[in-house]
Amino acid sequence: MLNQAFFVTWLAASVGLAGPVLLAAQGEIFAERAGVLNIGLEGTILLGALGSYLAAVATGSTPLGFVAGGVTGLAVGAVLALFYVGAQASQVVVGIVFNILAAGVASYVYDLAAGTSAPTIGLLRPVHLPVLSALPVLGPVLFRHPLPLYLTLLIVVLAQVVLFRTRFGLALIAVGEHPRAAHAAGISVARMRVIGVLLSGLGGGLAGAYLVTAQIGLYRDNIVSGEGFIALAIVIFGRWSPLRSLLAALVFGGADALQLSLQLFNDRVPAQVLLCLPYILTILAVSGLLGGRAQPAALMLPYRKE
Amino acid sequence: MAAPPDRRAASETPAAIAATMLLAALAAFAVAGLLFIPYGTDPLSAYAFLFAEAFGSLRGFGFTLVQATPLILIAQGTVLAWRAGLGYVGFEGCFVLGAAAAAWLALGGTPDGFPYALPPALFFPAVLALSFAAGAVWAGMIGVLRVRFRGNEVLTSLMANYVAAFIVQYLVSGPMRQPGSLPQTPRLPRDTWLPYLIPEARTHAGILIALVASGLVAVLLRATPTGYEIIASGINARAARYGGIPVARRQMLAILLAGGLAALAGLGAVLGVQHRLMDGLAGGAGFVGIVVALLARLDPLAVVPAAILYGGLEVGGAAMQRDTGVPSAVVFILESLVVLFILGSGLLRGWRLPLPWSGRWRATSRKAAE
Repeated sequence: MLNQAFFVTWLAASVGLAGPVLLAAQGEIFAERAGVLNIGLEGTILLGALGSYLAAVATGSTPLGFVAGGVTGLAVGAVLALFYVGAQASQVVVGIVFNILAAGVASYVYDLAAGTSAPTIGLLRPVHLPVLSALPVLGPVLFRHPLPLYLTLLIVVLAQVVLFRTRFGLALIAVGEHPRAAHAAGISVARMRVIGVLLSGLGGGLAGAYLVTAQIGLYRDNIVSGEGFIALAIVIFGRWSPLRSLLAALVFGGADALQLSLQLFNDRVPAQVLLCLPYILTILAVSGLLGGRAQPAALMLPYRKE
Repeated sequence: MAAPPDRRAASETPAAIAATMLLAALAAFAVAGLLFIPYGTDPLSAYAFLFAEAFGSLRGFGFTLVQATPLILIAQGTVLAWRAGLGYVGFEGCFVLGAAAAAWLALGGTPDGFPYALPPALFFPAVLALSFAAGAVWAGMIGVLRVRFRGNEVLTSLMANYVAAFIVQYLVSGPMRQPGSLPQTPRLPRDTWLPYLIPEARTHAGILIALVASGLVAVLLRATPTGYEIIASGINARAARYGGIPVARRQMLAILLAGGLAALAGLGAVLGVQHRLMDGLAGGAGFVGIVVALLARLDPLAVVPAAILYGGLEVGGAAMQRDTGVPSAVVFILESLVVLFILGSGLLRGWRLPLPWSGRWRATSRKAAE
């Protein structure tokens, strides 16, 4: 069973499953590094999925649908920023209430716009990258995916550079660690946090679009089932760093893909054991058991100017 | 960028709070009312229909109470945990594990039943205790991580929801599964069902459990030294500790009780409504319950009417979907808008309008004149 073919298929499936949540995690890293925990990410992904589906149906173009998911996400991020940063409301409260609102809005809009006729859209096909996709093992695992995956990987690298190697990224981190000091140093805490939330919205919206345009091809009310929370978990498990979140996403995707293929072989190992593991590791990561607090020091704390 | 407007401390008089909450709720109803129009229903008659379905008959009110029961229990759990200063959001997990524990006992353990039968008089006390304990232990683990190791309880409890869901998924697709197709347990024996109070609406005795629990939480928080210490720990843990309050213990007590109450919501779903255990039983009640507690401003007595209102909206919304085709999602939009607008209204209360008779108006006009 554990021959190379199985291994390659499993890894390729892991990468595929990791894609959307990894994309959502990139934006969320910026929000959390600035001090805002966006629990509303789940609802953001849902609305992004709906926006991309409706746009793809309306225009007949799946790539346009993908872009529309990002636009929807940005708009959602703007609304969330109003509450998180503008009203300085409790982030946990806003996020939880927003997820319920988003589920209601998505279901309502879908019913109104699509009603009973809900065509499927043409999926974005896997693109075999020239030369690279012919590599043994690495080819099928990494280089035979739809375009959104390559975009995601590009964004991971970009996020890593922007966050740790630019003035903007360091200012954003400063705001999340010690907003008062950042303010004293002339950084606008509110502006940084708004940007963080907007990026979280963008990432979430694109992740929803990724699900719809590259994996599912249609929309249902329950199309997003926990991806937002998995993305939050990936951010934690990746200790708020884009590159490490890539590994974290592979752990989640790997467990998911493994339970799918193990179900085919036997049912003595309950699938749920595998599915649980990444969550338990994530709990351990923020439990305080492993020493030092890894999270941004001002996470979840609204900031008021003195 | 314009300078932020002057603020004074939010006016926290009961009248100001009540007035802004009422305005916010009205605004939410008005906005959500617009959503009826594309379906050819005018908002006023839609709301009239909705409330008549939920509150206009004994049967409708019975359905409303069934919906309100888990919301009350989870909201009381939220009140306890959040008043103690813990951002616990793991009620979905407590709910499903409490449900699983209740189903396990009701089925006489599994797979082959207990070697002895529990006397009927002992069953209900035992199942309440077991279910409560399951939720308390589940929430207590998160409590220990927070209180002892300073873990982030918001994130750990969110993730623990998934672990609990997988545990129940495993139970109903493995050891507790009814031989046959669907992943669910066999139907529970009739003796283990909660008795019906309003039979035509299948209103089960869970509402009594919820009301008793509400009374106990209210007494605990308002009339006992322990409750005072819980609230003090939540307002300012450092000051409370300085004042000699064992903050860690009070927070642990609050989270244990909170988890137990949410588990009883699961017990009600299994012994009162479904009469079997299955996957996805909580269906978001763990989060809507939090919203109810927020609407009640974390006041244990206000939780009951708030939960009955939200339960009624859900009953009315479902009836409206059946009769007129307006999606019941409108109700979820309404429920969340009410709370979001109230959150926004806190901001409103803190901002003083520059009215002609106020000092602030003179200050701004002076500034404008300069």
